[in-house]
Amino acid sequence: MIASVPEPNAAIDGAVEKKLGWAFWLSVAWIGGLALAAVAAPWLPIKDPDVLGAAPRAGLFSDNLLGTDALGRDVLARTVWGARISLGVGSVGIILGLTVGGTLGIISGYFRGVVDQLISFVFFSLLSFPSLVLALLITATLSRSFWTVAMTLGILGIAPIGRLARATTIQFAEREFVQASRVLGAKNGRIIVRELLPNVLIPMGALTLLGMGISIVAEGSLAFLGLSVEGDAISWGKSIVDGSQVRDLTENAHVALVPIVAMFLTVLALNFAGDRLREYTDVKETAF
Amino acid sequence: MSNAQLSVRDLEVRFPTSRGVVEAVNGVSFDLERGQMLGIVGESGSGKSVTAKTLMNLLPRTAEISGDIHFDGEDVRAIASGHRKHFWGVKMTMVFQDPMTSLNPVKRCGEQISETLRYHLGMSREAALKRSIDLLEQVGIPEPARRVKQYPHELSGGLRQRVVIAMALACEPELLIADEPTTAVDVTVQKRLLDLLDELRRDRGMSMILITHDLGVARGRCDEVAVMYAGRLVERAETEVLFSDARHPYTTALLRTIPRIDQPSHTRLVPIEGRPPELVNPPDQCSFAPRCRHAQADCLEGVPTLTNLDGNREFACRYPANTEAGRTSFFANEAAGQTVTGLTIAQPSEVN
Amino acid sequence: MAKFLLRRVVQLVAVLLAVTFLAFSALNFLGDPLVNVVGPLAAIPDCDLVEAGLREDTFSTAGNIGDCEVVSRARAQYNLDKSVPERYVRWVGDLLTGDLGSSFQTGLPVSEIVREKMPKSLLLMVMAEIVALAIAIPVGVLAAYRAGRRLDRVTSVGSFGLLSVPNFALGVILLQVFALRNRLLPASFDDSTLWTRLHSLLLPSIVLGLGIAASYQRLLRTDLLTTLQEDFVNMARAKGMPDRHVMVRHALRPSLFSLITLFGLNTGALIGGSLVVERIFSIPGIGSEIVTAVIRDDFPVVLGAVVVIATGFVVINFLVDLLYTWLDPRVRVS
Ligand SMILES: Nc1ncnc2c1ncn2[C@@H]1O[C@H](COP(=O)(O)OP(=O)(O)OP(=O)(O)O)[C@@H](O)[C@H]1O
Ligand SMILES: [Mg+2]
Repeated sequence: MIASVPEPNAAIDGAVEKKLGWAFWLSVAWIGGLALAAVAAPWLPIKDPDVLGAAPRAGLFSDNLLGTDALGRDVLARTVWGARISLGVGSVGIILGLTVGGTLGIISGYFRGVVDQLISFVFFSLLSFPSLVLALLITATLSRSFWTVAMTLGILGIAPIGRLARATTIQFAEREFVQASRVLGAKNGRIIVRELLPNVLIPMGALTLLGMGISIVAEGSLAFLGLSVEGDAISWGKSIVDGSQVRDLTENAHVALVPIVAMFLTVLALNFAGDRLREYTDVKETAF
Repeated sequence: MSNAQLSVRDLEVRFPTSRGVVEAVNGVSFDLERGQMLGIVGESGSGKSVTAKTLMNLLPRTAEISGDIHFDGEDVRAIASGHRKHFWGVKMTMVFQDPMTSLNPVKRCGEQISETLRYHLGMSREAALKRSIDLLEQVGIPEPARRVKQYPHELSGGLRQRVVIAMALACEPELLIADEPTTAVDVTVQKRLLDLLDELRRDRGMSMILITHDLGVARGRCDEVAVMYAGRLVERAETEVLFSDARHPYTTALLRTIPRIDQPSHTRLVPIEGRPPELVNPPDQCSFAPRCRHAQADCLEGVPTLTNLDGNREFACRYPANTEAGRTSFFANEAAGQTVTGLTIAQPSEVN
Repeated sequence: MAKFLLRRVVQLVAVLLAVTFLAFSALNFLGDPLVNVVGPLAAIPDCDLVEAGLREDTFSTAGNIGDCEVVSRARAQYNLDKSVPERYVRWVGDLLTGDLGSSFQTGLPVSEIVREKMPKSLLLMVMAEIVALAIAIPVGVLAAYRAGRRLDRVTSVGSFGLLSVPNFALGVILLQVFALRNRLLPASFDDSTLWTRLHSLLLPSIVLGLGIAASYQRLLRTDLLTTLQEDFVNMARAKGMPDRHVMVRHALRPSLFSLITLFGLNTGALIGGSLVVERIFSIPGIGSEIVTAVIRDDFPVVLGAVVVIATGFVVINFLVDLLYTWLDPRVRVS
């Protein structure tokens, strides 16, 4: 055969890039830089986010670079400190989702049978709640500490992550190399850890980034419902809510806009990097 | 220029892709007289469909096209870029290989035929539907009034291709291009459909281009046959001439792949050795040389041009079959056991 | 077909049971509903002993024998003296008769609250879907038609960006621009007439609809690009049908099927989004009601509303599945 007709999209969108590209690295740099700033917030040369000192509702480029909120607190400092909780609950949540969902998914896909049916039914039931409603249900009766919010976001991730892990496991469990180790008498645990896990982890990389974006947005939504981390804790979601009072929005919209932009750029970077990574690691494309 | 209905000159089509530029059609020229039937034959990937789609303005816009196409003296490519209405479908139309996929699965058959009539001829919904039923009857579909209300998947492959034919003929086109119209249906249906097409064509005085990879299908139906290889026309002749006295070694190889009635059915057909060439950056040589039993050293230097012998045949080969030069080159290769390109000639076979 | 339907219905019932059980136990295990009814009184030790008449001498620790009566009355009224599974079964039984219990706070029946609040939320969501489709279909068709050109690039980048904008952020921004800075549209819900209702829901439904529009547009574009490679599209063009007809009548229709599936999936995001958007635009819908109830620890209202929403979501996805089967003539027959 002569070279076959290429994929439709490839023909239209031009060459299929097999590199991650500069925009991917830019996204990664933004996320990395932000994480660094969040961790180092106490030592950064920024104002104290909780001090009520300055004039309230100061504009941009005043004494305070990004202005102050209704209580005179520095917006820049609050946005940097907010990253701690927003990125924090996001990453703890996704790690939880990955561990629980991934484990259940692999078990379900590897052993099949009754276990599979049971776990799949749990996934299906979890997915039968609109995710924010599920979050609300969990946080409703609990005190809303950092850990409960993170756990809630993690639970949201279990079913979608678990399903992907299950599908990938099923796909790989039938491959020769897994069958071969089964025939050679390898123990199930060993097969899962040595043969399946590495392969299942590949698509999880992209999912981690995408899921973290979803978690960060979910924290914001919870904040709007008054269900984010309680007390003085600063998060982007809470900062946006704080800045969304009618008076703030009409007179100095930047109080809400700064954390909105921070969140948008972060979610955009996560989505973009996740999407590129998914294309890059797509099993169909890498041609085994 | 002749007064041919369709005249194609130096047609070239290239597709830029991630792997490089695919040179799908390379300098193809031919004429088609009104009411005649031209067969275009060639292996998979030789550029038959791309040629047809160029005529029909169906290529994706990434395709780079050059050359002249004239229909009734009008520049077809200018018609395409001018978005002229009522040209394709009315003057010239096409049916495709697979009847399973060439009907829209979510529209009733009748709707698919009558939309053409309504758009081009301005018929009313009722008139168009009545005409659709007539058309289905003409192509030999039983119970046409019921069929128009059915969806394509409710019909068998053979019936579907009849619907496609009825659809194509709805506006009485002057030229029909049929791209392997019968490869997807089984052999018994194949012959009936081809006979139907031939009959309808004669009744209407319509011209036709029949694309196929099976020379046997062209025999007895086409007035003329053009053989394509790797995007080039390598031989063109009147059908009888081609069958009895082919010149290009590729044509003779193709002829050997046709089952012959005078041979016992278990006689093995001779497949053509080797694989078709890459169309990305093809070397400057006869593209068939690597698979040709006649190949000589100078076949690898430059592409042979089409030579027109006596008006009714042309071919592009320096050591043509059924000529003295061809025989000499073949015997020389046979004696050496292989050709200049390394093709081994295993068992001595009949002389071409 | 009948067998298929039966299997789907059984599956539906199983999922509904699981969903209600999950919701019920989440609220009963994670917290103590008694606290919500009687407040701090729930913490009185030994009340059960007092009830049983065993310990007269615990008045000092139990505070007041009257308090214990309040607690035991509350227990009986809300069946809190039964085990969780038993309460669940009773609650499902009530549910089937349309009784969702009544609010701890106001004593109003939950079913009545739902009936009053739900229509506003539904209207918002329907309008959001209309906005989404009205944007996504034309843009998706145009993008696919001009695939690879400027318009397509711009809309692709646009919809990718839009998917990264949280809907509350979009809500806050549009509220600021269109309702507060320029008073083009109302900033909050106005229930007086049908017109004011639609008018004041326009901005919120645009907020909700834009995000969904982006996901529809992306799916539709990809789907159309695949459909445009099909022979029947070539056939339609070979018949000389104009581009517009080919795009809309031939390519779009089969591509709409996958949009229906996405519609089902998107409903979850739409419900979540409407919770938030109702807060931002002060719409007294079911979302606002749940949030208030959560803050006030009004357990029957939260449970009732969540169950109604989850049921609606499950049923919609069930119907979407059936609709899909019914609409696509290819699937319908086989
Ligand atoms: N859109 C396209 N982009 C890139 N290459 C293409 C495109 N369309 C066709 N080609 C290439 O052009 C060459 C000729 O294809 P064409 O479809 O004309 O072959 P064919 O002779 O019709 O073969 P078949 O008998 O299989 O139908 C092939 O190599 C094909 O891969
Ligand atoms: Mg072809």
